[in-house]
Amino acid sequence: MSSENQDFNKSKAFLIDMTKCTGCRGCQVACKQWNQLGAEKTEFFTGEGYQNPPLMSEYTFTRIKFRDYEKNGQNEFAFYKEMCMHCNEPACASVCPVGAFKKTKEGPVTYDADRCIGCRFCMVACPFGVPKYEWSKALPLVRKCTGCYSRVKEGLKPACATTCVSAITYGNREDMIKEANKRIAARPEKYLKKLYGSEEAGGTSVIYLTALPFDELGFKPVTKRPLPSYTWQALRLVPGIFLTVGSSLSLLSWFNHRKERIAKEEEQRKSGATPKEES
Amino acid sequence: MTAAKIIANEIKGYHRFVQFLIVLVALGALASLARFVFGLGVTTNLNDTFPWGLWISFDVVTAVPLAAGAFTLGAIVHCFHIKKLEPLVRPAIVTGFLGYSLVCVGLLLDLGQPQRGWHTLVYWNPHSPMFEVSMCVMAYTTVLFLEFLSPVCEKFGYHVPMRLLRTLEMPLVVAAASISTLHQSSLGTFFLIAVDKLHSLWYNPLLPLLFWLSAMCAGISIIIVEATMSHKYMGQPDEGELLETLAKILPWVITVYLTVKFFSLFALTQGPLFNRPGLLVLFVVEVVGGMIIPLFMLMSRKVREDGRLRATAAWMVIAGIILNRFNVSMFGMEAPGTFYYPSFIESLVTIGIIAAHILFFVLIAKYFPIFEHHPETVDYSIPDHFHKTEKGHAHGAAKA
Ligand code: SF4
Ligand code: SF4
Ligand code: SF4
Repeated sequence: MSSENQDFNKSKAFLIDMTKCTGCRGCQVACKQWNQLGAEKTEFFTGEGYQNPPLMSEYTFTRIKFRDYEKNGQNEFAFYKEMCMHCNEPACASVCPVGAFKKTKEGPVTYDADRCIGCRFCMVACPFGVPKYEWSKALPLVRKCTGCYSRVKEGLKPACATTCVSAITYGNREDMIKEANKRIAARPEKYLKKLYGSEEAGGTSVIYLTALPFDELGFKPVTKRPLPSYTWQALRLVPGIFLTVGSSLSLLSWFNHRKERIAKEEEQRKSGATPKEES
Repeated sequence: MTAAKIIANEIKGYHRFVQFLIVLVALGALASLARFVFGLGVTTNLNDTFPWGLWISFDVVTAVPLAAGAFTLGAIVHCFHIKKLEPLVRPAIVTGFLGYSLVCVGLLLDLGQPQRGWHTLVYWNPHSPMFEVSMCVMAYTTVLFLEFLSPVCEKFGYHVPMRLLRTLEMPLVVAAASISTLHQSSLGTFFLIAVDKLHSLWYNPLLPLLFWLSAMCAGISIIIVEATMSHKYMGQPDEGELLETLAKILPWVITVYLTVKFFSLFALTQGPLFNRPGLLVLFVVEVVGGMIIPLFMLMSRKVREDGRLRATAAWMVIAGIILNRFNVSMFGMEAPGTFYYPSFIESLVTIGIIAAHILFFVLIAKYFPIFEHHPETVDYSIPDHFHKTEKGHAHGAAKA
């Protein structure tokens, strides 16, 4: 875990403008290449629409979702790049018992495969359904978008952002949000007046701009509160409860046993006998 | 005779039910072997949208409260000093110890990298409920093991360690109760992170408290059931009077539980409650069948005094808690339109684990003085027939 004192505005973030996405899936390919991900045998129409592969998986850290919809009587496509959101306060990092996930100060949330014990709590916890599992292996590990941390920490852009001609912008989170608002202000008739990711799950390092309502694109409605706080409000009580229960039970039993002890001592003193064996 | 032959002979003398259990355990062991050879993906029905299945829902989340008898009873007997319940303590400790050991087994099977289980001891993340639970489960299994050592030492007549264990008894009881409080409730904390995933019928901020309270209900009910069954099937004396006392405590705990449950349901829950009819049915069955009906049953003296009815009520509570854990960790977590059901191998492993629990309990009861309060009258061997011991029939395994 990590992140309380970090200034997320200075960390790097993606701005994904879906009105500019042409659905070329260059990012999907670039991601595969950079991360050396295996190929997946796919078929058309196995998923919800035209997209392929049907879901993110151990081999696919990012993919373009296709949505067809009707606008002014015309059939149109909308595209949505699905990837790890690199939450400011990641649920995955907070629940991992061995701390395999980490929010880096550069922005990406990284995963340390050498620590992971494979409990899959991160998968249960992530509100965006991002971490995937190597179901094909006997001793599986978790896989997910790394935010190309190995590139970012050397000053490069992530592979997907480098490949993309127009839809993905990468830079300081603060600047990305400013830029997004600028685009909305410049063309209010085109954009929805909402940034997905600015507040979701307490803010993420991936910010989306769209023309279509987010739920129609398949964005999950997610709480605005950072997820770790949900469990922490209970967990932070742990030491206190431990001490309270422990000490009150000790006291209680001490008192309850005292009477008996006193009676026994009395008896012994009276009879003058040596202490009796208990068992 | 070689050791193997002795063991084989010993096993031949067992009751058929016990032999059947051995077969189930063996099948479970084979199934878990298959899991390691072929991988989780092939042998289970788990997938990326449903990463936790039967093994977490039953072997961990359900088995832990079912093993809660030991700490509940230990606290009642020793801290509140209700001495007459003491004869029940040892069987409860054995059940608890077995339960927890098997929880560890279930957990290891479910882990993708079980060989790295020790990482939880090295890489600490106190923000993780899983970290907390695994620490507690390890600590508590150790405590239960120490408590379980008493009958073992007694059996072999080791006096010095017994002395030590006697001295440690109280601290251990207190440790057991405090550790249990933590991890029983932390199992509920697990699901606090599943905001927007767990259905609002079960999701609320008091989940940890509810888990803890229901674990106590489970603990007491398990003791009632266990004592009734070992009276009926293992020729142990009737603990009716003691169980009546427990049956008197139980309704109080249930009432507190239900109060908190309904308070959190109506005052703290956000999100729709009635949008998934299937889940609603499960919820009603859980609460009415598993808590409210047994509550009313146990409020009547007639039920509390009647061994059968009392055990029935306790069974209902247990069933209610099992259903509750499944609702929280499985049914309530399924997104609409998805459906998970355990695969054959997953089920086989879980059946094997349950069988192992019963088997080991029977065997431990056979070889060690856990029903210690009437040592002269009891032959610790298993009766050949579970209802009555046939006279004159030589016990194949009477040597203990
Ligand atoms: S989107 Fe999921 S996997 Fe990515 S950082 Fe957030 S919680 Fe972790
Ligand atoms: S599966 Fe691995 S990374 Fe995910 S929570 Fe468990 S130990 Fe952490
Ligand atoms: S940031 Fe890197 S790992 Fe993540 S989707 Fe883009 S290319 Fe793939």
